[in-house]
Amino acid sequence: MKKSYSKFIALGSLVVLTLTYSCKKLLNKEPVGVLQSATLASKAGVDGLLIGAYAMLDGYTNTGGTEWESSIDNWVYGGIASDDAYKGSNTTDQPTAAPLENHSVDPANEFLSEKWAACYNGIQRANDAIREIPLVKDGSLSTAYGAEVVAEAKFLRSVYHFELAKMWRSVPYVDETVTYAAGNFNVGNPGPIWDKIEADLKAAMTVLPKTQPNVGRANYYAAEALLAKCYMYDHQYTTAKPLLDDLINNGETSNGLKYALAAHYEDNFNAATKNGPESVFAVQMTVGDGSGGQNDNAGAVLNFPAGTYTGCCGFYQPSLSLANAFKVDANGLPMFQASTITPGGFVYNDTNLPNDHGYALNKAGAYTLGGVAGGTPFTPPSDALDSRIDWTLGRYGIPYLDWALCGGEQWSRGDITPYNPIKNAFYHSQQSSTTDNFGGWAASQGTADNYNLIRFADVILWRAECEVEANDLPAAQADVNMIRARAAIPAGFVHTFVDNSDPSKGFTNTPAANYKVGLYGVAGAPSFATLGQAAARQAVYIERQLEFGMEGHRFFDLQRYDALYGGPAGSGYMAGILNAHIKTNVAFLGTNPVLQGHTFTAGKNELWPIPLHQIDLEGGKLKQNPGYN
Amino acid sequence: MFKSLLLKGRTLCLLLCCIVSSLVVTAQTQHLNLTGKVIGADDKLAVVGASVRIKGTNTGAVTDVNGNFTLSVNVGNVLVVSYIGYQQQEVAVKSGAFLTITLAQTSSTLTEVVVTGYTTQLKKDISGAIATVNVTDAKKIPTTSSEQLLQGQASGVTVINSGAPGAASTVFIRGIANFGNTTPLYVIDGVQTGDMSLVNPSDIESISVLKDAGAAAIYGISGGNGVIVVTTKKGKAGKTTINYDGYYGTQEPKGGNVWNLMNPEQQSQLAFTAGDLATEKLYPGGPGTIPTYGYHGGTAAGTFGTAGVTSDPGILQYYKFDASNHGNDFLIQKFATGAGTDWFHSIFRAAPEQQHTITASGGSDKSTFLFALNYVNQQGTLVETYEKRYQARLNSTFSTLNNHVRFGENGFVTYKENNGGYNGTQQQEGGTISGTYRMMPIIPLRDVGGNYGGTYDVSGGEPLGNGSSPYASQLNQATNNAHFVYVQGNVFAEADIAKYFTARTSFGGQLYNQYYWNIGYIDYSSYEAHGGANTAGEHEQFNSNYNWTNTITYKETFGKHNIQVLAGYEQKAFQGRNLDATNQGYFSLDPNYVTIGAATAVNPPSSTIDQPTSTLSFFGRADYTYNDRYILAATIRRDGFSIFYPGHQWATFPSASLAWRISQEDFLKGVSWINDLKLRGSYGEAGNNGNIGGTNAYSTFKSNQGASYYGINGGLSSIQQGFYNDQIGNPNVTWETDKITDIGFDASLFNHLDITVDWYKKAVSGLLFPQDLPSTVGGANPPTVNIGDVQNKGWDISATYHGRANKDFSYSIGANITTYNSLILKESGSSNFFDTGGSRDLDIVRDQVGHPIGAFFGFQTAGIYQNASQVSSLPGYSGAAPGAFIYKDTDGDKKITSNDRTWLGNPNPDFTYGVNLNANYKRWDFSMVLYGSYGNQDFNYVKYWTDFYSTFQGGKSLDLYNKAAIVQGGVVTNPSATLPAASFSQAMGSSTVSSYYIESGSFLKCRVLQFGYTFDPTVLKRIGLDKVHIYAQATNLFTITKYSGLDPELVPSLSNQGGLGSARQSAAFGIDYGAYPNNQRQYIIGVNLTF
Repeated sequence: MKKSYSKFIALGSLVVLTLTYSCKKLLNKEPVGVLQSATLASKAGVDGLLIGAYAMLDGYTNTGGTEWESSIDNWVYGGIASDDAYKGSNTTDQPTAAPLENHSVDPANEFLSEKWAACYNGIQRANDAIREIPLVKDGSLSTAYGAEVVAEAKFLRSVYHFELAKMWRSVPYVDETVTYAAGNFNVGNPGPIWDKIEADLKAAMTVLPKTQPNVGRANYYAAEALLAKCYMYDHQYTTAKPLLDDLINNGETSNGLKYALAAHYEDNFNAATKNGPESVFAVQMTVGDGSGGQNDNAGAVLNFPAGTYTGCCGFYQPSLSLANAFKVDANGLPMFQASTITPGGFVYNDTNLPNDHGYALNKAGAYTLGGVAGGTPFTPPSDALDSRIDWTLGRYGIPYLDWALCGGEQWSRGDITPYNPIKNAFYHSQQSSTTDNFGGWAASQGTADNYNLIRFADVILWRAECEVEANDLPAAQADVNMIRARAAIPAGFVHTFVDNSDPSKGFTNTPAANYKVGLYGVAGAPSFATLGQAAARQAVYIERQLEFGMEGHRFFDLQRYDALYGGPAGSGYMAGILNAHIKTNVAFLGTNPVLQGHTFTAGKNELWPIPLHQIDLEGGKLKQNPGYN
Repeated sequence: MFKSLLLKGRTLCLLLCCIVSSLVVTAQTQHLNLTGKVIGADDKLAVVGASVRIKGTNTGAVTDVNGNFTLSVNVGNVLVVSYIGYQQQEVAVKSGAFLTITLAQTSSTLTEVVVTGYTTQLKKDISGAIATVNVTDAKKIPTTSSEQLLQGQASGVTVINSGAPGAASTVFIRGIANFGNTTPLYVIDGVQTGDMSLVNPSDIESISVLKDAGAAAIYGISGGNGVIVVTTKKGKAGKTTINYDGYYGTQEPKGGNVWNLMNPEQQSQLAFTAGDLATEKLYPGGPGTIPTYGYHGGTAAGTFGTAGVTSDPGILQYYKFDASNHGNDFLIQKFATGAGTDWFHSIFRAAPEQQHTITASGGSDKSTFLFALNYVNQQGTLVETYEKRYQARLNSTFSTLNNHVRFGENGFVTYKENNGGYNGTQQQEGGTISGTYRMMPIIPLRDVGGNYGGTYDVSGGEPLGNGSSPYASQLNQATNNAHFVYVQGNVFAEADIAKYFTARTSFGGQLYNQYYWNIGYIDYSSYEAHGGANTAGEHEQFNSNYNWTNTITYKETFGKHNIQVLAGYEQKAFQGRNLDATNQGYFSLDPNYVTIGAATAVNPPSSTIDQPTSTLSFFGRADYTYNDRYILAATIRRDGFSIFYPGHQWATFPSASLAWRISQEDFLKGVSWINDLKLRGSYGEAGNNGNIGGTNAYSTFKSNQGASYYGINGGLSSIQQGFYNDQIGNPNVTWETDKITDIGFDASLFNHLDITVDWYKKAVSGLLFPQDLPSTVGGANPPTVNIGDVQNKGWDISATYHGRANKDFSYSIGANITTYNSLILKESGSSNFFDTGGSRDLDIVRDQVGHPIGAFFGFQTAGIYQNASQVSSLPGYSGAAPGAFIYKDTDGDKKITSNDRTWLGNPNPDFTYGVNLNANYKRWDFSMVLYGSYGNQDFNYVKYWTDFYSTFQGGKSLDLYNKAAIVQGGVVTNPSATLPAASFSQAMGSSTVSSYYIESGSFLKCRVLQFGYTFDPTVLKRIGLDKVHIYAQATNLFTITKYSGLDPELVPSLSNQGGLGSARQSAAFGIDYGAYPNNQRQYIIGVNLTF
C-alpha cells in the first residue's frame, strides 16, 4: 500500500507536469478572422487604413448608427433646422428629428450623438493610418509616401473636425496621440479649434500634390479650399481672400480639370456627371459594389417622395420659404429686402408662391387618376422664378427629372407641404446604373450621386463675401453675376416633356415655367454699388441660399453671418430669419404640428447641444454649450 | 506493476494507462445464478421494477412484473436493492438459494441517489443546495424543447418559454444576475453544454439542479449561473424490454379579437374624429364609410405614381400584376368591410403535434444497452412554423475483469428541420405577429387579382399604414428551411485501480451543423419595400466542442468515518466556422431552381470564423461524514480560460459546506414526527465567462465593403478595400465572480412530508459588460470590462406530501416557490446606469445602481389635461394640449423634461411557483401541473401601435375608440377618458414611454391536466404486454391573468434591444413586442406501452 502510494505521487506529478506543459499551448488562442496592427504594417496596410478613413465620409459606420443621423449632407442639421426644409413624413415618423427642426432639442437626442460619433470615428480612422506608419519596418513604405499619407489623413481629420466645429463650435480636438491604451481620451473642449484645424490643413498643403492618381483623393487645392472655408467661419476674410484668389485662378481638381462652374447647374446633382470641374472635394458614392447599398448616398435614403417611384419615406420636404425665395422681381433678381408684414422676414414671403397644398384635401371623394381634386384643376403658377427652383424642389406639374410631372402634395407624405426633394433623386433612365437597394428595404434609394462637400460655386461666393466685407462691391458683384449667369443659361432650365404620359420620349426646348434670371448692374437692374454694402451683403447671402438650397449648408451659413459668432450681419440675424420662417409657415399652412408654437432662441440655438451622454462619459471635462442643460 | 506502466506511459495518455493497468488486478471468480423476489413490507406484494445491483458495480437487474429477478453473482457480493418509495436495502449473498427481499416503505427520498458534480451522492449525505426534478412529473408537459420540462418543477429555477416550435427557453437559476448570458451550465451525461433542448424527455433518467457554491463551484468558471445535471437512462441487466411512448395532439390558437381592435367602420369614424386629413382621404364617403377599392399603379392607368381610392368598378380593367417588373404593377384591392380582416387568425390556426419514442433496453451482468428512436413533428399554430426531429440514442455499458473495469458510451444523433421556430423572428416590431396588429382590418388578405393585399395602395401620406402583410410574409416562409445535424455524447472508461480508488476518463462533446436557405420575395404588397430585386440566401454553420474529463476517486469507510475524495483534470475546447451567401435578381423563385449561382446580381459570399476557445481545469472535492450526522464537504477548482489575456487567465474557485443531520442526535430520536432533519450551510465562489467575446484582449482591424471600402476612383461602382479598427482590446479583463452563501434545511416529517428550504445570497462582482467610452476613442467596439456588481437574494422552497387514503387511493402534492430580489450594486462607468430595451421613442429600461436589473423607466402619467387652464397651470411640455397625457413632474421644476422620467415597474417577479398534483385510484391516475408567476410587471409595447392615434396607421384598439378623450372647443367632454384624444400630432403627449404601458404580468397557468388508465397487467400478460398506460391531456387549459396581451410570459427580445443586441439580452426583458404565445390550449392523447 505504502509503496504504491508513493508511485501514485510520482505518477500524479508526471501527469500534472505534462498537462501544465501543454496548458500554455492550449490556452494560447490568437484572434481569428481579424487583422492586428502587426499584420497591417506594410504600405498596403497603411493604404487600406487611409481608405478606411475616407470611407467614413459617407456617414455609414461600423457601429450600427443610422446613416441619416450622421449623414455628411447634413440634411437634418443644415437643412430641416433651417428655412430650407421640413422634417417631412408623418409627425411621428423619426420623432426625434422633430425637436431638431423646431429648436426644442434635448441634449440627449440620438441624432446628435450619432453625428458626433461618426465624426470622431472618421478622425480616429485617419489617426489609425498615421499611427501605423512608424510600425512599418518591411521597407515597403518610403518616407515621402508616408508623409503623403499623413497629409491626406490630416486633411480627412480636418473635414471631420470641421463638421464638429460648425455643429458645436468648442469640441475636443483629437490627434493621433489620443488612444484608449494611453487613457487620454477624455479630451475636453476648452474652446474653438479653428487654429488646430487650420494647422492640420496647412501641414497637409505642404505635402499634398496638385493632382492625384484617384479623383476621390484630396489634393493641394482641396486642402486650400477647406482652409479658406475655415477662415470664412473664423471671419478672417482678408486671410481667406488670397487663398480664394489662388483657387479661382489656378485651382484644379485631383484629376487635373481646371476649376470651373459646370455647364449646367443640375450637373452637380447627377451621378452621371459627377467629379466634373466644379467638384472641389466630393464624397464619392458608389452603387452595385457588393456592399448592399452601404457606399451610396445612404444619408439621404429617407429623402425621396413617398409612395411613388421609391416606396419610402417622404423626409426632407422643401419649405414654403425656400420656394418663395426663388420668386424674382421684374429684373429677374431675388427679393431680399426686409418684409413689412412679417417683421424680420423677407419680401418673398409676403405672398405665397401658389401651390397645390390644400387643393386635394378640400375635395375628398373626387380624386381622379390624374392627380389633384376633380373639378378644381390646379395650374402651376406663371410667376417669374429663378430657374434653380425646379432643380432644387419637386413642384406640382413640373417634370420631375425624367419620371413624370411631379405630383406635388400627392407625392409628399404627411400632408404638410406641396414640395418634394429632388437634388438627391435620380433619373429613371439611369436607375439601374446609379441606384442600389439600401439595407434590403429601400429599393433604389441609395444613389451614386456624390455629395459635394465644397464645389467651385462655394469658392466664388465666399470670395464675394470677402469682397463685400472689403467694400470692393464691383468685384463682389462680378463674382455673384458669375453664378447667376450660369443659372440664366436657357439650356440649363427644366424643360417640358414631349409627351407628359411618356417621359421617356424626352424633353422639348420649352422651359417648364416662367424662368427669369437677371444679373446685377445689367439692363437696368441695380448694381451692388447702387445697393450699398449692407444690401450687397444680403445679395451675396441670398445668392448662397438659392445656389445651395437643399445642400445642407443653410443653417451653418446663417450661424456664421450672425454677429454672435463674429459675423457681419448683426446680432440676432439667424434668430430673426428662422423665426420669420416659422411665422410664415403658420400664416400660409395653418397648423404645422412640428413647428407650431416653437421659436428659435437667439444665443442658444445657433449651436447644437453637446450630446449629453458624451458629457457624462468624459466625467466633467466636456462643457455644454450656452443655454442647454 | 506500476514501473512497467511508467515505461509505456510515454506514448499513451497517462490516465488512460492507469485504467488499462488495472486490467491486471487479480480477480476471484465463483459465479452462481441467483434468483429472487422483491416484495413490499406494507402489502407483501411484488415490487415491479425494483433495482437489484451488486454493490460497487453497475451490474444489476430489474424485477419483472412478478417481482422476480435473476442475477449472476459471486458469494460474498452485496446486493443493493432499491425502489422509489422504499428504503434502500443491502443483502449479502451467502448461497445460491432463492432470496426473498422485503423492502420497508419510506416517505423519504433521503436515500435517493443524486447525480452531482462529477459524482453521485446519497441525498442524505448532500450538504449543498441541490434540487432534484421529479422527472415523472416533468415529463407530463409535452414539449419539443426539454428546458420546458424544468418550468415550475424545481425551486430556484425560472424558465420562460416561447410558443415557437423547438425554440429554446430562457432559463435562469436564482434570478438574473448579470446583463448578458444567464444560461446555466448543462451537464448531460458528463458533456458540458449550453442547452438541453434536443434531449428527448423520454430518455431522461434524472435532472439535478446545482444551485449553491457547495454544489456548483466545482464547475468553477462555468458554474456561476448554476448547473443543471442531466443523466439519461441506461439499460438494465435482465430481459430486454421494449417501451413505446407516444402522443398525438392538437394545439389551438387563442380565439376572438385577440388585440381588441376596431373594425374598419370604426376606424373610418375615428379618422374624422381625429381630424386626420391625410387619412380622411381614404374614406371619401365620410365618417363610418368604407370605399370599395384601393389602388396603386404606375403608368398603366394614368400618370406615374398616381393612386387613390374609388368606388368605381371600372377601375378593375386596369389591374395588372407584373412579377418580373413591379414598376408596371397596377394593383387593386377590394376593401374588407364588416369585422374586417382578422390578420391574427389569417396566420394562426389549429396545429397538430405528435411525438413517438421506441426504446429497447436490456443487458447482462457484463453489458447493458439502451437504444431509443424518437420522432417529433410539431406544427406551430403560426402557419409555416414547425419542428420535425428524428433522433437515435444509444447508451451502452460494458464491464470486464469481474466488473473492475467498466466502459461505455452515451450519445445521440439528431437530424431536424425547423422553420420559424426560434425566438428571434418574433418579439420585435418587424415580426409577423406584430404585423397582425400593425395591419388595418380594412386591408384584404388578397387583392382582386388573387395576389397579396397590402399597404401599397395609396400614396401621398399613408392612410393604410406602413406595415407588411403578415399573411404574405408567413406564407412565403414555406420556401425557407433550416436543417440541423447534431451529435452529442461521450465515451468513458473507469477502473478500480486499487482498493478504494477508482479512475475515470470521459471524452465527450458535440458536433453541430446547420444549413438553411431562405428566399426574399419582392414585397410588392408592402408600403416601404415596393419593387427591388428578389433575393435568396444559403447559410452554413459548423461548430464543435469537446470536454475531456479525468478523475480519480478515493472512497473509504472506517468506523464512523466516511471519506470520499475526488481529484480531476479537465480540458475543453470550442471551434466553428460559418458561411453566408445571399444573391439577388433570380429569374424564378421556384425553390427547386434557386441556387446561389442562378442569380443575376452577385454579392460576395461571406464567411466568419468563431473565435476558438479552450479551458483547462484542475479540481478536487472532499466529502467527510462522521457518524452519519456531521457532513463536511469542500471543493476547489482552478480554471484557465483562453479568452483572457495571459496573466489574467487563471482563477481559483473554492467552496465549503457543512450539514448537520440533527434528527440523528439522541435528543431528537424520540420525536416521532421528525423522520429526518438536516441543517445545511455553504459558502463559496464560482465564476462566469459567458459574457465576453473571444478577441476582447486584442485590438483588431477588419475590412468590410460597407464600413471601410471607398470609391476612391470616382466611378459609379468600383470600390477599393480599406480597413477599420473594429475592436479595442483590453488585456486586463478577467472573469465574473459569484460569491454564494446558502443556508437551508431538508426535512422529512410525519412520514409523508418532505420539505426543503434555502435562503441564499448571490453576490456577483466584476460583471462583464462593454465599457461605455466617449466617442473620442473612435468607432471601434469598446472592450468588455469588469464593470459592475449585482446581488440577488431569495428563498427557494419546495415541499411534497405523499398520502395514501386507502389501498385504492393515493395521492401526492408537490409545490415549490422561487423568489429572488435583484439589486444592482455598482456600475463603474462614468454614470451609474445604462439604458436599453429599444422602442420607437425612448429606451424602456434603465439598469441603474440601487435598482433591479431590467427595471422599466419612463414618464408617470397623471391623467389627461381637461382644458387649456390645466395645460397652463400644470407642469407642461412642448405640445401639451387638452386631451393629452399629464405627466408627473418628479423633479419639481415645473416642466416636463427627460429628467422627469422615473421608475415605472419591475419585470422580475416576487416569486414564481409550481404545483404538481397526482392522484391514483385503482388503475386510474390523475395529474395536474400548475405554474405561476407573481408580482412581475410587463411592458405592453403593443399598445404603442394600437392605443394611440398619433403613432403609425395600423390596427387600432377599441379602447382608443371608447376610452379616448374627446376634445370639443378646447375642453375634454368625457372626463372619465383614460386615453389621450385621438389626434395625429401628439407623440410626447401620448405614446412616449410611460406608465400607461405597464401591466401586471402575474399569471397562473394550468400547464397540464391529465387523466390516465393503466390496464391490468395480468390481462396484458396474455397478449404479451407488460404494461399499457393510456392518457388524455389538456395543456394550458386556463391562464389566469390580468394581462391584456396574448401571453404575459415573455421571452426577452433579441431584436429590439438597441445597441449591443444579444450582449444585453438579460439587461431588458418582460417587454411585449408581439411574442409567440405559450398559453395556447392543446389536447393530447397518449400511450405508454412496455413489453
